[in-house]
Amino acid sequence: MANSFAESNVDDVKTIKLQNGMTILVLEDHSIPNANMYLFWKVGSRNEYPGITGLSHFFEHMMFNGAKKFGPKQFDRVMEAKGGANNAYTTENVTVYTDWFPANSLATIFELEADRIEHLAIDKKMVESERGVVTSERSTGLENSNFRLLSAEVKGAAFRAHPYSWPVVGHQSDIDNWSMQDLKDYHRTYYAPNNAFVVISGDVTVAEVKKLAKQYFEPIAAQKPPRKVHTVEPEQKGERRVYTQKSSITSPNILMAFHVPATKHKDHYPLQMLSSILGDGKSSRLYRSLIDEQQLATQIWTYLPNSFDPNLIYIYGVAAKNVSAEQLEKGIIKEIDNIMLNGINPKELEKVKNNAQVDFYRQLATINGKANNLGSYELFYGNYKRMFTAPEQLAKVTKEQVQSVANTYLRKANRIVGVLGKNLDSKKGDL
Amino acid sequence: MKFFKIFIGLAFSLSSYVSLAAFEIPHYEKYTLANGLTVYLMKQSEVPLVDVQLVVRAGAINDGKRYGLANITGDALIFGAGKYSKNDLEEKFDFVGANFRSSTNKETSSLSLSFAAKDQNALMPIFADIVTQPHFAANDFTKYKKRYLANLEQQRESPRSIIGDAFNRNYYAMHPYGNPVGGNLRSVKGIELAQIKQFHENYYTPDNSALIVVGDIDSKQWKSKIETLFSKWQGKAKKQALPTFTQTAKPSQVLLLNKADATETTFMIGGKGVAATNENTVALSVINTILGGRFTSWLNDALRVNSGLTYGARSRFNSYSSHGNFYISTFTKNATTFEAIDLALKTYQRLWDKGIDAKTLSSAKAYVKGQFPPRYETSTQLMYLLARMWSLGLNDSYINNFEKNVDALNVTTANKLAQHYFPHDNLQFVLIGKADELREKAKKYGKVKEQNIIEF
Repeated sequence: MANSFAESNVDDVKTIKLQNGMTILVLEDHSIPNANMYLFWKVGSRNEYPGITGLSHFFEHMMFNGAKKFGPKQFDRVMEAKGGANNAYTTENVTVYTDWFPANSLATIFELEADRIEHLAIDKKMVESERGVVTSERSTGLENSNFRLLSAEVKGAAFRAHPYSWPVVGHQSDIDNWSMQDLKDYHRTYYAPNNAFVVISGDVTVAEVKKLAKQYFEPIAAQKPPRKVHTVEPEQKGERRVYTQKSSITSPNILMAFHVPATKHKDHYPLQMLSSILGDGKSSRLYRSLIDEQQLATQIWTYLPNSFDPNLIYIYGVAAKNVSAEQLEKGIIKEIDNIMLNGINPKELEKVKNNAQVDFYRQLATINGKANNLGSYELFYGNYKRMFTAPEQLAKVTKEQVQSVANTYLRKANRIVGVLGKNLDSKKGDL
Repeated sequence: MKFFKIFIGLAFSLSSYVSLAAFEIPHYEKYTLANGLTVYLMKQSEVPLVDVQLVVRAGAINDGKRYGLANITGDALIFGAGKYSKNDLEEKFDFVGANFRSSTNKETSSLSLSFAAKDQNALMPIFADIVTQPHFAANDFTKYKKRYLANLEQQRESPRSIIGDAFNRNYYAMHPYGNPVGGNLRSVKGIELAQIKQFHENYYTPDNSALIVVGDIDSKQWKSKIETLFSKWQGKAKKQALPTFTQTAKPSQVLLLNKADATETTFMIGGKGVAATNENTVALSVINTILGGRFTSWLNDALRVNSGLTYGARSRFNSYSSHGNFYISTFTKNATTFEAIDLALKTYQRLWDKGIDAKTLSSAKAYVKGQFPPRYETSTQLMYLLARMWSLGLNDSYINNFEKNVDALNVTTANKLAQHYFPHDNLQFVLIGKADELREKAKKYGKVKEQNIIEF
């Protein structure tokens, strides 16, 4: 196997299954005296509906605001006094809690997590103060990131049925208005042990993790599985365009998106290859052509998120000085058309394969890289073992497959184009 | 996300090393070539990767009035080298998944390459060419400069990305520590290729540099490789003494940068800090952890958790080899700007009024020690550690005594150090936001100097 040099391999990962349906992976790594716990909850903005948009992310915040044994502020205070730190992130698909701690604090981490999973106390005062925090998080994102601003518009245009339509942070009016009952229902439904996947990596033993998991996590009752997200986005039959405006920008930004299938679909690896050939590194097609040769852009990149349901592949560009959004857009489309018509060359394929192998080693270089990737592969690819074979899977992709997915998905009718401009969308004769 | 990623970690970028019996700085070799080049070799073979860095003692403080010159020189080294053009070099690195980057700060410039161990023989001669035989191709520079200027403008669309430069400039005034590493629109417009070549000649010399190699390496083979590739490199660095920064008791001032469409105010408040080589940096990082260096810190607790005014508030020491400053930073919606500033000041005053108690100190000590090992887990992290040790002249004892220094801190000393080293008077303020809603009330903190964000 290509990764025979790496210290961790697939057989080092051990699985613990609890009776309440919770699965825990353990990967021992004694290179530093620390460990982590990554808790993946299968809940994200795709589980929301109008009126409670942003609730998954808000919940990520509420999980730190007090439970039965450890009241408000205690989760962080106890963890930090034991040398631990934490963070969390929410996406369209999942909510992930990340604890990083000296390995000898493992029992405390189990105790803290069990308390908030089983007995979260939703305190009215904390809810109100946390609305302010999340409002600030939302607005600082919009103040400092043009991508945040533009992607909200593009997603809204891309999805008229599926909940990928709104930004993960939610609409401000929903942040202002969701109720205590909404919060209670959400916790009961989604924070059940049978809806979680846990990964622990670091200076621990499988035996001690098993003992603590049985003591702290196993007694937590399973719940009825959450409602399935059954909405399928109707096929897009023609290009969709959106324009948004901000006076302080100095050159136009473009976000182009195309509908693509879910991560588990067979076209995912060819799409990953395509995304990389287009946008990864200074020798990539878009960088070479649009930034270096034609000088139409100052920044350009592509993004293919992991996704449970069919989602989007993104191309983001910032126009160079005195270059219009139209010129940059035409430049991007020309590069896409070129791949659709003429395909790619074998050297480009080889390059992405080489990169995947080196990136794989980089993921294995830290206990946190290991934990986050094992969990992500389990959830998005259906099995954590796929992490170890990902470079090989990518190596099987052919140049014909890359050209074929370009033709299937990067077509005009399947495209959404978002433009962020300096000027109001108004002109003489068309006010 | 619960909290900013940047909020995690310590106030000092290298203040700490846990010396648990099992965890000290890994073994490394250090030697000097005949031409004066210092070499560090450290074996780390958990994964088959190698990290190489060439670090030079020259940074933004050597820019003169051409702010950005050191940074642009570093970037320009890849505009062709040896027998390769810029595009060749980029393709060679990209093809095998190697990451090349140039990075400049106030006092050093560095070139780093991360790659798979099996590619070492193909890539190291190229890396050596970039260091010793750069072309500085004119055509590449012209395109780069145009893009660089556009990027400087775009940077001014985001208050968060320029407030640090603004605070430093306001604090250090015209002292070289106030030079913005990236430069500004005015200074970069004036930078030409001849000045870049001169900067390279002045400072990129073996006696002024260190080569650091960390990863899956065979030390004997690497020594011979380094000898072959770098022993012919010649030159002596131009010596340039850094003027002393004399802290005159400058009264409190407010630099107000106007962003007319801002929906929130981003601000920093601070003053004098300490040099990176100060003997109390470990103790001060523990104290700052309590004030503004972790989630439960006083500042974050007051401004975020209790009041919901912001997504996060923090404080940190920003330290260079012979001086440093300290600042509190956060942001809040326009309407609550002054409520947040006043609350930050009131919370900060707690260091003098109530001081630090035993329980909080004990928690901060545990936190700082517990969060330390993952900071030096990978070969990339260890490479940066060695580079910083070299540039500041730190030895292993500074690193390996970290835990001892943390443990030695008691409540009395902590309070004494806090009151001595954290700036109390003549605080400097930088506010970025909608000036129309800020300028009048800002006067209560000091004389207000206003500028448009795009012109900063």
